[in-house]
Amino acid sequence: MNMTVVNHHLSVGHIAIGGVASASLVLIGDSETIQLASAFDTPPESLIIGPFPQKQNNKKNEEKR
Amino acid sequence: MSRLSVVHLLKANAVSFSSVVQVGDSQHIRLSGRALAVQRQFEYVDSNEFPLAFPIFTKLIPLPPVDHEHVCRYTLHDCPLIAVHSIRIIGVSSTSVVHIGSTKNVEAESRVKHIRQLTERRERHARSRRSD
Repeated sequence: MNMTVVNHHLSVGHIAIGGVASASLVLIGDSETIQLASAFDTPPESLIIGPFPQKQNNKKNEEKR
Repeated sequence: MSRLSVVHLLKANAVSFSSVVQVGDSQHIRLSGRALAVQRQFEYVDSNEFPLAFPIFTKLIPLPPVDHEHVCRYTLHDCPLIAVHSIRIIGVSSTSVVHIGSTKNVEAESRVKHIRQLTERRERHARSRRSD
């Protein structure tokens, strides 16, 4: 495949960014390959309602001592 | 030949969790980050409570494939300059890059799991609300 790219004058005034997060890229320049991947997990089972099992175990350990 | 990047002012407030602010050219950038965010009603912290063994931390994320087809590219830099007067960034977090200059390969992987833990009292409250 043949391809011709002509880069003309490129001038930017001000860039205001709130946040760059989770495998993101802000690039002022040229690049060959970019591979960015992000996984985010908040399924319903991530919501735990109830007592704190670890905390109870700690209490038991303290009682043993 | 790559272009020249000219930035007069860069202001970044916070750069955290495996992030990079790169000024100048680079060849390879590879970033990897794992985060487990536990939010709970009670103030209780134990770093060994949850081992990082959730599937989200081990599952393979299919990366966008790099096309290996040979491309005969001819690039003409009519103006070999990328000029930016000012950049204002509040936060850079979780395997992110702010790059001024040219690069070759960038690979980044971020895995984040959120867990929320609420007390039983709140559940009862929610149940009573539901019955209403």
